[in-house]
Amino acid sequence: MHVLEMRNIRKSFGSVEVLKSISLDVEQGEVVAVIGPSGSGKSTLLRCATTLEQVDAGTIKIAGRALVSETDGKVLFADKKDLAEIRGMFGLVFQNFNLFPHFSVRRNITESLIHVRKIPRREADEIADKLLAKMGLADKAGEHPCRLSGGQQQRVSIARALAANPKILFFDEPTSALDPELTGEILKVIRGLAEERMTMVIVTHEMSFAREVADRVIFMDEGVIVEQGRAADIINDPKEARTKAFLAGY
Amino acid sequence: MDNLRSTITQLLSGMTFTLMIFILTLLFSLPLGLLVAKGRMSRNRLLSGATRFYISVMRGTPLMLQLLIVYFGPWYLFKIPLRNLSIGQLDYRFVATIIGFSVNYAAYFAEIFRGGIQSMPQGQYEAAQLLGFSKSQTFFRIIMPQVIKRVLPSVTNEVITLVKDTSLAQVLAVSEMFIAAKSLASTQVSVIPFIVAGVFYYLMNGVIEIGMNSLERKLNYYS
Ligand SMILES: Nc1ncnc2c1ncn2[C@@H]1O[C@H](COP(=O)(O)OP(=O)(O)OP(=O)(O)O)[C@@H](O)[C@H]1O
Ligand SMILES: [Mg+2]
Repeated sequence: MHVLEMRNIRKSFGSVEVLKSISLDVEQGEVVAVIGPSGSGKSTLLRCATTLEQVDAGTIKIAGRALVSETDGKVLFADKKDLAEIRGMFGLVFQNFNLFPHFSVRRNITESLIHVRKIPRREADEIADKLLAKMGLADKAGEHPCRLSGGQQQRVSIARALAANPKILFFDEPTSALDPELTGEILKVIRGLAEERMTMVIVTHEMSFAREVADRVIFMDEGVIVEQGRAADIINDPKEARTKAFLAGY
Repeated sequence: MDNLRSTITQLLSGMTFTLMIFILTLLFSLPLGLLVAKGRMSRNRLLSGATRFYISVMRGTPLMLQLLIVYFGPWYLFKIPLRNLSIGQLDYRFVATIIGFSVNYAAYFAEIFRGGIQSMPQGQYEAAQLLGFSKSQTFFRIIMPQVIKRVLPSVTNEVITLVKDTSLAQVLAVSEMFIAAKSLASTQVSVIPFIVAGVFYYLMNGVIEIGMNSLERKLNYYS
């Protein structure tokens, strides 16, 4: 079964069509890297998949559950109850972390477990501490995010996204806001998740990382998927002229 | 010396009213201000237009005039005689004062809250939405605690102004500290009562500043 199923997704902002009938299926355990020039619609694609934007047309299923469906050409969004359930099945890691600055690191993770998923506080704390230990941040649980480096903050935000045990994780340029010397620690964490067979869709500008960790690379330009295939094939030996031109810049 | 002592005791009794006006106004105007801010930011054109008008009138006309309008309103609107009018145990003069101050300060607080809420990055809402928080959970757990920290200095300014504004209650003959000072000054033919009253306002604001500063420091556990 596909963990993510996006079919014929269209999205415009005003008169600008940003996604022009994009389809994307992701299998259980697959790691997909999305690359492409600035403004090609990569973020918009992730934002549509994660309900931050409403699509104009198309269907989206996550773990078999319909997030967006179509009947007679009319777009139907999941109702509140479904939405709440489906939201627990995916996580999104933002470029600029979006941690809650007024909460401790631990509470950034536990707050939704306790108040949304209704997990007892003690259990939630255990989940948080386990995830933080996995991220190498066991000693930071009581700190506030502002006391952490960018790399550490991003690891907290990955832990937060993992807390509800999602079936798929989306990353929108997880290392772009970081100093170059800090990107390594994030890539290492993602590599670790890939080894655990976590299903992931990663928008990235790190070509060597994409080639190494992704099963499949998707090249987007001007709202369409221009080319996709095995990571090594696309990055080492692109077929399309636009892909070649883009990769020549790296 | 005796004169000064009796001046101080009489002013202190006026100060209870001053304090009551101050505390009750904050109690009502802060939550009301939050509601007004929400209305002002509403997508409903009618609601946001109405609150915008309300705010502009409250900020654009003298508070003293607003107090008079609230006070005389029942008479002009419903021909309710005002002499000795009371609501429960409370003199209507006092009630009108609290209403007037509260609706006026709510407008100022509303603008402060609105600025604070609108300064919050969109990413906070998006992160909360993805984690499944409801709209009200997002507002009260994620947004508002951060807004309070952001707006605290401006709120402190308004609170300090409110202490001084309480003296306007004299137009409705509410026996707060300023009225007491005025009558003492005229019987004693002296400015001393005014000076003592000034010292009291100053001390009250000193206490407020110390309190708000310590609150600000408490909220400095993150930046
Ligand atoms: N909320 C919005 N309102 C209007 N236009 C938008 C909005 N969000 C994105 N766009 C436009 O949609 C297009 C695609 O944007 P998107 O952020 O998806 O690109 P991207 O591939 O992620 O680029 P980058 O690599 O710079 O992050 C851009 O032209 C952008 O200006
Ligand atoms: Mg982007």
